[in-house]
Amino acid sequence: MIKIWRETGVIANDPWVIETDEVKAAGEQRPLLSLDALIARANESNDVGLGVVITPFDDVGRLEPYLSRLEIVAVSFPAFNDGRAFSQASLLRARLGYTNELRAVGDILIDQIPLMLRVGIDSFAVSNPTALKRLEERRLPGIPHYYQPTAQAAEAGETYSWRRKPSPAA
Amino acid sequence: MVDKVLTANRLTDGVSVWLNAAGEWATSLQEALVARHAEAFAALEEIGRKAYADNKVVDVNLIEVQETDGILWPLRLRERIRAQGPTMAYAPGYAPADPEFIAV
Amino acid sequence: MYRYDEFDHAFVSERVAQFRDQVERRLAGELSEDAFKPLRLMNGVYLQLHAYMLRIAIPYGTLNSKQMRMLAHVARTYDRGYGHFTTRQNLQFNWPKLSDMPDVLAELATVEMHAIQTSGNCIRNVTADHFAGAAADEVADPRPYAEILRQWSSVHPEFSFLPRKFKIAVTGAERDRAAIQVHDIGLHLKKNDKGELGFAVYVGGGQGRTPMIAKLIRDFLPEEDLLSYTTAIMRVYNLHGRRDNKYKARIKILVHETGVEELARQVEVEFAKLRDTELRLPEKDVQAIAAYFAPPALGERPEGWENLARWKKADEDFARWVKQNVQPHKNPDYGMVTISLKPIGGIPGDATDAQMDAVAEIAEEYAFDEIRVSHEQNLILPHVALADLEPVYRALVAAGLATANAGLITDIIACPGLDYCALANARSIPVAQEISARFGAPERQAEIGELKIKISGCINACGHHHVGHIGLLGVEKKGAELYQITLGGSGDEQTSIGEIIGRGFEPEKVTDAIEKIVDTYLGLRLDPQETFLTAYRRVGPQPFKDALYGGNAAEAA
Repeated sequence: MIKIWRETGVIANDPWVIETDEVKAAGEQRPLLSLDALIARANESNDVGLGVVITPFDDVGRLEPYLSRLEIVAVSFPAFNDGRAFSQASLLRARLGYTNELRAVGDILIDQIPLMLRVGIDSFAVSNPTALKRLEERRLPGIPHYYQPTAQAAEAGETYSWRRKPSPAA
Repeated sequence: MVDKVLTANRLTDGVSVWLNAAGEWATSLQEALVARHAEAFAALEEIGRKAYADNKVVDVNLIEVQETDGILWPLRLRERIRAQGPTMAYAPGYAPADPEFIAV
Repeated sequence: MYRYDEFDHAFVSERVAQFRDQVERRLAGELSEDAFKPLRLMNGVYLQLHAYMLRIAIPYGTLNSKQMRMLAHVARTYDRGYGHFTTRQNLQFNWPKLSDMPDVLAELATVEMHAIQTSGNCIRNVTADHFAGAAADEVADPRPYAEILRQWSSVHPEFSFLPRKFKIAVTGAERDRAAIQVHDIGLHLKKNDKGELGFAVYVGGGQGRTPMIAKLIRDFLPEEDLLSYTTAIMRVYNLHGRRDNKYKARIKILVHETGVEELARQVEVEFAKLRDTELRLPEKDVQAIAAYFAPPALGERPEGWENLARWKKADEDFARWVKQNVQPHKNPDYGMVTISLKPIGGIPGDATDAQMDAVAEIAEEYAFDEIRVSHEQNLILPHVALADLEPVYRALVAAGLATANAGLITDIIACPGLDYCALANARSIPVAQEISARFGAPERQAEIGELKIKISGCINACGHHHVGHIGLLGVEKKGAELYQITLGGSGDEQTSIGEIIGRGFEPEKVTDAIEKIVDTYLGLRLDPQETFLTAYRRVGPQPFKDALYGGNAAEAA
């Protein structure tokens, strides 16, 4: 079972669905389109509030003209050790200035979530039972001392220019 | 058909172990339970899978051995070294592997 | 050397607590091995043939006596009384229990040490010239930049799940003692015409299955751009490095398959966007870090010259040790001492807890409390007054650490091999021991001169055999060990990959083969000053193939 988690807690009634041959968005549900499908839809209509799920192979730069029309971008972790989405998320936030929901989907371990938050991912489709349990207990395993700036805003002023600490009341 | 034994490394300390007849993980290869036919191999593999899932051991493998005069001798050099330890004097108080056992 | 501040201490203790929690969950069965493995690897914990192995980071190979004593304590208390210094300037313990590791790491943290990122698909220990800060030929000390990179790369969220491991090396002299051209990123710290510091940047070097020499992609990178440029390289690699095949996942393959011009272009495009960001290094930060590496206050010790001459005359063994194991220092009253961890017939790179304590004591008393680990598996005391060489030597003799063989044929580099390593196909240590014993006589070694033998027990090349003057690669053939010989490799500023010269040798034939190679060299060298490597580069492999295979073309490569 997959639950959507954000720092505010588990999200009930999340509408976003990754469509497959068997599964299609129905009723209140909304599809997370593939990159090509998103571009096609955006070019053929004036629709806004769209959702896209990109693969690790996709060039996030292709989303640039459509960012204002996207409500959610999902980045994929086909295997937890496929770390391309960390760079994609970083580019979406820091380079392209994308500000709406950025979701991680796929194989997500609890120990990766603090790292994902730091590259600007702010929601998580979690199926791993241990991860779900820890998230519900609000026991995130991150280290609140950072040695590098990342896409998520953090507080500078820790002796050296590259160091950061979590923003207060984040 | 070659004989086989089940080996793994203990989770807590990483030490090499072999499954014995009592279903325990022994630290000596010579105590290993020998499987001699396909059903026995399958049974050992199942025990191995369960022990791995139960987080008792890691890196579980069925390995080939030859039994001569009651001594179990792994066919692979790697497994002979695993059974006996490093093949040279490496620390005071720890004997090196028996060169005759290790030899090809 | 660098000293932790509050931030560093907090980070390491939090990391220890994090790992302790992960280990407890693992031991309680709440975490499966599949989920635990990447986590334990990022904390330097491997599973080997006989036990777990813990690899402790020694940043750019620098440590002090307090740290060395702690390593001795760990060896004694949690392991079997010894440790192994590696070709990446780290230390490995071969017998620690998983259940003890959180305690080991907690103890290490009290002396500013850890095992973070010594394994896994992340940025590993940044290595540097082991003579940094002392060598007479140094342009600038590379270690402040190694320290900046070390900090910046620690738990970097974007680069913790790379296609594969990533290794960076930094050097600060024309002579490359850090083998930067066989690293994923090699940085050569130098000055431009205006006297400003910057780096020549090399990318895509590596050994292993497909050895490749790094390509120069930037002739001069200003020092302030170090982090932004490195980020650009890492981002291109993270996004485009192959993930379909473990053996094609290093950046060297990406460079090779993309082409160096195109890859450099991609890096420059990304760098252009990163250059004026918060990643730019302020001069004051570089200077603050560099201040930690200020040389010790080396007092004038002019009496050293006269003493040295007298001592050498009185003791031939001492004289030999000075000649071989002491290198020129920036300061003429001082020398750089190599402590050989290659006793004749012994295990290369190993040191007992007693030996570690002895080195700590000597460093404290005579060497300004500074020790280095070289990628050739020896220890270095970079600052020793010539006037103190004799008492240092005596202390080393007492600890069994005075073998006068730095850079000679018995100064062999060997990986742990099949005696320890789950990845190995063949043993390396017994091969090294036999070669060392055969050539152990000091006169023979002196006659042969500089000759670097490097032995790997499998294709992963942790013994760096590709850059050995003589390289040995152990393989498995029909259940038995076989050793392929390569010649002419080198990891210095004229990096070359050794050439395979023919059919491999059975273990019992290896030492004789080495002897034939050595005799061939001695027979064809122009004079005793022409080293093996120089002679090989002059004559090529043929004379050696002929000597080993007797003109049998089918056997020679």
